[in-house]
Formats: sequence, structure tokens, C-alpha cells
Amino acid sequence: MTQSWFSAPAPVTRRVRAYFAPVNRATQTPVLFDPAEQGTFSLTAPPSPWIDLGWIQHFSRKSTSKSTPLLTGVPAAPLEQVRTTLEAELSFEFSSWTKLTMALSTGAQHMNVLSAASGGTGAADGAPAVSAVTPQTGSTASSIVLAAGDAAQFAAGSLIACDVDYTGQTGFVGAPVAGAYVRQALSDVDYVRRVTFNVALVSAVNAGVLTLAAPLPAGAPASGAKVQALVGFVDREGGTFYQEWSALFVMECAQGERLIFHYPRLQSAAGASESLSALDTKDKGAQQRVSLKAQFVALPVTDPLDGERVLCYRSFLPAANALI
Amino acid sequence: MQNAKDSFYGALRTRLTALNPERTVLLRGALRPGILVEDAEAPFSQLPNDVFVLRWVGLGADVDLGATMVAEECEIVYQTCGTQAFGGLDRGRLLSAMDEEILALLDPFWTQKLNYTVQPAATMLTKVFWDEPVFTPAVTQRDRMGRSVKVMIYSYQEQGE
Repeated sequence: MTQSWFSAPAPVTRRVRAYFAPVNRATQTPVLFDPAEQGTFSLTAPPSPWIDLGWIQHFSRKSTSKSTPLLTGVPAAPLEQVRTTLEAELSFEFSSWTKLTMALSTGAQHMNVLSAASGGTGAADGAPAVSAVTPQTGSTASSIVLAAGDAAQFAAGSLIACDVDYTGQTGFVGAPVAGAYVRQALSDVDYVRRVTFNVALVSAVNAGVLTLAAPLPAGAPASGAKVQALVGFVDREGGTFYQEWSALFVMECAQGERLIFHYPRLQSAAGASESLSALDTKDKGAQQRVSLKAQFVALPVTDPLDGERVLCYRSFLPAANALI
Repeated sequence: MQNAKDSFYGALRTRLTALNPERTVLLRGALRPGILVEDAEAPFSQLPNDVFVLRWVGLGADVDLGATMVAEECEIVYQTCGTQAFGGLDRGRLLSAMDEEILALLDPFWTQKLNYTVQPAATMLTKVFWDEPVFTPAVTQRDRMGRSVKVMIYSYQEQGE
């Protein structure tokens, strides 16, 4: 009789793919991943709101939770164990530099360097910016309609930030992701656009319409949002703000099985650092790849299934026909 | 092991047909996709140009697993003289095109294992998978430029193999 199953050895994989989704900082609500409904998603098209950050390198995770035996009797002997701390760490390297990978791998808030207005006083976070412009009716997540005079400030290849003016609010600011926590009112009207994750690349400008290479993460510009050009990004060593994200790491293995590590709450655990690796290790060439090193500490959530506090969910979806 | 080798070749041939249907070879009176297995053809005095030739070299096995894992090294050899229309001056460009083609053929890095000893080929339970390719330096012989790429192919032995 032909065998209809096989005994599967340990999974074999070549690489790990990372997906992140913003935690709602104001309500402390993480994004949960359901392996039953979403476990077999296409790696290039993750379910909303997960954002694909591509392949990562040197993925390593470690439980640092501690257990202590509960001793009883004379002489004392372990009766049972109790978990005294619940901790987990993970680290990896991003292969690309983007707004999101930089933000995730820095320990503090991550800011956009807005295009400077002429004659402004220089500043380490970027000089006072050119005035923001207002999107017109008909703007979408992928195209921004501007007044003719405003559109002239932008060209194909421009980078833009789109968010509301800062008007003295405190607490978490930025949409769709909290980019900073404002403790006391500031004076910079562009502050929200300095920290927002709602950024995009302009691929074309025609008749006052900015066509974006990829949609704005927050969708169509919200009421009150304005658009400003940016030239790059800046982050700092120090500060009090911690990035917090929900994360998903997927290993697609050789027989079609999947290993999925879901951390509902991850906070960056170290300041910004980079890793250099030679492109040509054989001939020891001088060209080196600069990868972003990311280190995180996992924070707990309460699993509604049974009320247990947990840091991470590891799911395994076996290969078809594999003996379990 | 033969099923894994056949499946790897079959996958690359199917992918080549989709990627570049114009890469063909006239062999034993039949026009076929431009990829062949050296040990399944009559011995060549000179490998054909503009064709991918699969040559099975290394072999290893890990028998301490739930299912024996077999690793087979495949050397894919290809060469070109360029085209007559350009007097062979485009041989470097054609070799680059073949480099890109073989890289594309190898992705994704797995295929379903099939048993080609029956007609039609029967789908087996496991998949055949492989590592990143390792390209060797280009070699020039008179008017001919060529290189090879080495790939390690892995598979699990199934019942009856």
C-alpha cells in the first residue's frame, strides 16, 4: 500500500520575513495575528494592518523568563515551580533603510528632516521648514491634489510628510502611528509632520496632482492635514519615547511548513546602531553593507482565552502530508 | 534520489519555457527547451552553445533524521559564441543574459517532487529544495565564453525510493 504521509524532520528555512503593525499607544491596543484565519497569507501581501518589512538577517530570540522552585520539607526539595519573571528579547538586522526600519531599530522617536525655509536658523533636527500646503478635495492615499502654486514646490522624486499642524496638544501625536509623546506644549507648528510615519515618495507631478509611488500609510489625507517636503530622517540617542509595535516573523520552510512568531507588543531595547559587513569577503574589498541592528524587549498581553499573561505566540503550520 | 534530480530538471525546464521560449535546442531530431541533463544524452565532444547543461556531481546523505535527507550537487554549465549577426562581439552580453536567466530559473528555491517513471508523472509527498547558486568565473576558450553555476539540491527519501 502506498504511504500517504511522511515523517518530517526539523524544518529547514533560508530566511525570515518581518511584518510590523502599529500598537495604538493611546488605548494600549496591540494588533493580534490569528494563525487559524491568517496563517497561510501570501508573504508578499500580508493581511491589514501588517506592514511588510521584507527579509531580515540574524534573527535571534531568547526567553529570559525565570522560574524558581517552590521548596518544601526537611531537607527542602522542590514541590513545584513558579515563574518569577516574564521576559523575552529578540534581535535581528534589517536589510534595507526606510522610514519604518530606521524607526523600529532606534530606541527613541524617529523624525523627518523637513525641507528648510531659506534663511532659517540651523538646528540638529532640521532648520525651520518651508510652509506646509493644504491638500485639495479629491486627494486620495495615492494622489495629492494641490493648488497650482503649491504643486510647484514638488517634483518627481520629492519626499513628503502628510499630517496635521501641531496646535499645542500633548500626549501621543502622529497618524496612523504615534510618532512621539509630547509631555508639554511645544512651539513648532510642524512638529507632528516631523514625527509622523505618514510619508511617501512622489513619483510624478502633473497638473497640480502629486502621484505617490506607494500609498500614504494613513490613507487619504485627513481633515486638517497638510503636506510638507522632507529631505531625509534623523533620530537621536536619548530621549524618553520608546517605539512600540506588534510584530510577526515568518519562516517559510522547505516542505511548505510555516513557523510564525507573533509578539503582540515589542519595544525597542537599544539605541540606534549599525552593523557593517564586507560585500566581498573573499577578496576583502573595502565596500561594506550597513545594516540596521534592531533589538527589542517583549511586553506582555493578557490572553483572553484563559487570562494568562504572555509575551509571544509561536505557531507551527505543518507541511501537507507530514506526520505530526 | 533520481526523482529529486528529475524534479529539479523538470522544474527548470518548465520555468525556462515560460521565461524564454526562444531558448531551444535541436537534439536527436527534436526541438526542445534549451536545457538538458548531460548524463541522459549521448556523450558530447563539445557542449552545445546557448544551452544550459545540468551535470550531477557531489552527493551526500544524512541518515539520522526521521526521513533520510539527500544532498546532490548540480553543476549547470553554459556557454555562448555570441551571434553571427554581430560576429560574436555580443558573446559577453549573451553570457550575461544566460546568467540572469539561470538566476531567475532557480527562484523559487523549491519544487514539488515528482515520480517520472510513471505516465503521467506522479506527485510525491515532499518537495525538493535548494541553496543559493554559486557562480564560477567566466572562462574563455577561443571564440567561446562560458561559466558554470553550482547548486546544492536537497530532498527527503520517501517510501519506495
